Amino acid sequence: MKNRFLHCIVVTVAVFFAAYAMASDVNAQAPPKPAPHLADGRPDLNGTWDHGGGISFVRPQTLPDGSVCVLGCPPAATAAPQRGGNNPPPGAREGRGGAAAATAAPAAPNFPKYKPEFLAKVKDLSDRQVQTDTVLQCQPPGVPRIGPPQKILQNAREVAFLYDDVNGSFFRIIPTDGRSHRKGLPPSYLGDAIGHWEGDTLVIETVNFNEETWLIDNGAFHTKDLKVVERLRRVGDTIEYQATAHDPAVLVEPWAMRPQALRLTDHELEESAHCEDRDLEHIIDGSHHDNPR
Amino acid sequence: MPKRFDCLLAVLTTLLVAASAVFAHHSVAGQFDTSKSLTLKGSIAKLQWMNPHIYVYLDVKEADGTVATWVLETLPTAMMRKAGLSRESVMGMPGELVTVLVVPAKDGTKHLGWISKITYADGHYYALGGAGPVQ
Repeated sequence: MKNRFLHCIVVTVAVFFAAYAMASDVNAQAPPKPAPHLADGRPDLNGTWDHGGGISFVRPQTLPDGSVCVLGCPPAATAAPQRGGNNPPPGAREGRGGAAAATAAPAAPNFPKYKPEFLAKVKDLSDRQVQTDTVLQCQPPGVPRIGPPQKILQNAREVAFLYDDVNGSFFRIIPTDGRSHRKGLPPSYLGDAIGHWEGDTLVIETVNFNEETWLIDNGAFHTKDLKVVERLRRVGDTIEYQATAHDPAVLVEPWAMRPQALRLTDHELEESAHCEDRDLEHIIDGSHHDNPR
Repeated sequence: MPKRFDCLLAVLTTLLVAASAVFAHHSVAGQFDTSKSLTLKGSIAKLQWMNPHIYVYLDVKEADGTVATWVLETLPTAMMRKAGLSRESVMGMPGELVTVLVVPAKDGTKHLGWISKITYADGHYYALGGAGPVQ
């Protein structure tokens, strides 16, 4: 009995890591070919970019009779990389998925480091995430939690980011022609962004956020003074994406999400379906999971 | 329950839970009892193609002849799209009798569940995770 149990555990862990290795693209090898450039000399970021939208682990299998296995397929077909991931704050309750992801993800812990006086608040928000996380109520996820854009439109004056998010379709307009942050705007979920080029890297600074969103899962709140800096560099048909959150009032140090690799795809963006959560009232044990996006 | 099935269930559940950790709004296991499953036969009366979960309304004839409508949740639209599935493919033919492997609600809500697998009259199926072996 004991041997059977151990065998099962070993198989489960082995399957998970094998699947993770197959699905993980954070460390994907960049194509060797050079990045294309536009007439203004800037790298061409235009296109639809696949970073999985959080679903890169979905590897459907289609059978000749039209059957499709999306999840729960034979083990090699599914996996769960921890994208831009995080670990729960000390003492935070781990939901089932959170526990699984924290156990399985090979990357080092990457949760924002809060000043000691804010740890209790983080823990409380995390413990009550089903009630406190507005993302679970279909609200905009904010930046950087929304992750990289799914589509980029670029000209010499500005760059537009388009998102097909589970919570809705979102956009951000990022001036790149030297304009300053706009004055008098009300704080918003996605903030006010401006961009500039550092060599071949697009650097975006976003401020003027409301305080409705979190940096990431598990109670990672921020203040209205949050500043997020994103860096995008095209290498062949890949964009290297990195986002760092600066909020010195509550964080010990800037918090950098794990880098992500965006791949050029011919899958066109679609309008996100209506989001309406009807589940939270049925979650009786408060369990939640990492939702790193 | 056979031990081999136990182990397979553990593997599948681990993958499902971990997978949902990356995308879904909340833990599937927080709302549905992934240790249980039941099989329903009925026809799809309505489908709501929405996020964070698609809803399938399944009319099931009860033993006493009455019809109960089950509210069944499944994956978000983006996952379905990636799998090449659409509203039409999930709906099947009008009035078609389908067999659905369901994970019941953990809080005991009647006629509420998560679709693990849906099999159509001609035998083709869509496996959507949740519980039990799919093949």
